[in-house]
Amino acid sequence: MDRSYKELLKLRRFPHTWCPGCGIGAVLKNVAMAVKEQGWNYQNTIAVSGIGCSGRMSGYMNLDAVHTPHGRALTSAETIKTVRPDLNVIVLSGDGDLASIGGNPLLHTSRRNPDITVFCNDNEIYGLTGGQAGPTTPKGTKTITSPRGEPYSPLRLGRILTQQAPYFYARTTVYHLNHFKACIREALLWKGFSFVDIISDCIELNGRRLGFKTAHQMFKWFDERFHIVEGQREHLREDELGIVKVLVEEKLRPTEKAEVKPEFPIEDLKPFTLEQLQHFDGSGGKPIYIAYKGRIYDLSASPLFQGEKRMRCHIAGKDLTKDIDIAPHGEDLVFKFSVVGRLV
Amino acid sequence: MKDLVSGNEAIFQGAIRVGASYFAGYPISPSSEILQQAALHSDKNPEFRFLQAEDEIAAAIAIISASLAGAKAFTATSGPGFSLMQEALGWGHGVEAPCVFVNSMRVGPSTGMPTQPAQSDLLQIKAGSAGDYYPIAFYPNSVEECFRLTATAFNAAEESLSPVILLADAFLSHLYEMVDLESITIDIVPRSKEPLGRGQRLFTGTAHDKLGNVKTNDPEAYRGWLWELKNRHDRVGEKYPLFEYLPHKSSETLLIAFGITSRIISSLKNRFSIFRPIRIYPVLEKELKEVTQSYRHIIVVEGSDGQYASWVECVLCRRVMKVACLGGGFKLKWIQTQIEECLKEVRR
Repeated sequence: MDRSYKELLKLRRFPHTWCPGCGIGAVLKNVAMAVKEQGWNYQNTIAVSGIGCSGRMSGYMNLDAVHTPHGRALTSAETIKTVRPDLNVIVLSGDGDLASIGGNPLLHTSRRNPDITVFCNDNEIYGLTGGQAGPTTPKGTKTITSPRGEPYSPLRLGRILTQQAPYFYARTTVYHLNHFKACIREALLWKGFSFVDIISDCIELNGRRLGFKTAHQMFKWFDERFHIVEGQREHLREDELGIVKVLVEEKLRPTEKAEVKPEFPIEDLKPFTLEQLQHFDGSGGKPIYIAYKGRIYDLSASPLFQGEKRMRCHIAGKDLTKDIDIAPHGEDLVFKFSVVGRLV
Repeated sequence: MKDLVSGNEAIFQGAIRVGASYFAGYPISPSSEILQQAALHSDKNPEFRFLQAEDEIAAAIAIISASLAGAKAFTATSGPGFSLMQEALGWGHGVEAPCVFVNSMRVGPSTGMPTQPAQSDLLQIKAGSAGDYYPIAFYPNSVEECFRLTATAFNAAEESLSPVILLADAFLSHLYEMVDLESITIDIVPRSKEPLGRGQRLFTGTAHDKLGNVKTNDPEAYRGWLWELKNRHDRVGEKYPLFEYLPHKSSETLLIAFGITSRIISSLKNRFSIFRPIRIYPVLEKELKEVTQSYRHIIVVEGSDGQYASWVECVLCRRVMKVACLGGGFKLKWIQTQIEECLKEVRR
């Protein structure tokens, strides 16, 4: 087995702080393996993490790592990628950090679609602080802050992240190892914002309360709860593991292009003086003429004038160059009409 | 050539001159013009990166991350936004990231009176975030000084490896003056921190040793780190002992004012001595002690209920009177009567 991924880990800091049986170790190891496999190294890869058990992951990686305040990992990662596009940026954090306190950065960073890869260790609990209910805790689960069972439905990260194309969202567990590895690999290769939701176990502060004796029993539970789906999917149901991705941004509606009328040379046009122009003010069935930048336009067809002498502050039969320049609309409103002469 | 420049424009131009290449911000009056200028500048110069963040929390985190990544970064906000940035301000001291926070103050608390000027965020620069930290803060009082002190703030940030705060107020931000920014020469301190990409370092707000190893139960390591931070800040603070002193020979009273209030009361210089601190924090202890020796009365005129006065009182260990211009009311006549009343009360 290739053990070269170990150079990406700070082995001098081991043993780590995580409890025996915790899923974070598997996340750290597999991410390190996948990063190594990509040929990335400590000179071109940055690990960013938030707070919590999983936030400690960046500290065990032999990369330049940034350990941000609670919930701010995504903003930090996005900025690092903006300032240094040559660096590969991965985010290693937990569900409480990314989805609860970091909910707003999650919405907005995914919207701005920076080229970063997020690995979310989703253990459905606040582990480091002692086992409080988190945003992804399933409804009805007893925790130390929900003694009668969590009263609210969990946040569906997949639904949030797949609102806007392009997106990459993968759900996997630490138990389904090959699927897990494939998800990490694909996420690292994805150009743009990619999010891997790794269902992980917290045996000490969640599993025991749920009635599991060992981490292995929790893995078996994951096996019962989830099944892997293949192929292109738009959404993952709650019991499905897989990758959903869409690369193409929705096409914007094509904007209407203004018709370009052929330009007459200004000398060929019929000359009008201001007095002559004043005559054409729309009264008594006469056409409505106005002057703009030296040209006379026939505004009789304008639905806004409707045979009236005046439309708001624009008066027919006048030179409206100044009025239109300060008007809230552009000059293209005038260009729609035909030129009938020039102002002398 | 002289141009009509506003305080906000001067702050932005100062940052550009000193080599800033990243701005993140969130719209808030009266600092929004800096955000707009950044957007326009970034449009023309793609190497200047700009982010309109989703909130001030993200903006502050973004500039510190940009600083770690190697850019000279800054943000601009006002009191309510600065409250949201406090978390990042503490983190910035923890990870030792040089960057600049511009805080154009308005009346608080909370939304307060948008957007009447005030000078009431002084305690926030020192005590808003958790734990002990030692910020450096400057406060200009003219458009030209906005330009110069922005550059100074960036330099102090690079030297002290921490966020530096440039204070302004709603008056100053929207004050237009004729200035020739081109002809002003400034010193530029180059980037002092090695950017990301060297490997094996950990930038964390958790207590850590020099190698970046987290030390959560080692008081010695924490003390060592904090004293180093404090010493560095004191050293850099001493390098910029900026103040302005206008003595009046026959005056027994010293007026202390800074920022826009110092401009308003400048016409009182024929009756009183005026001292204007430019470096607001660390407090100009030595200078204040020296200057105030010969005066019987000290009156601090400021746009808050005695925030700076309490610091002066602390430093001098003697009674300091205050004239609090609250709610955006900075009228010279009113200030004058208040000063007279202070003096009457003391003589009684």
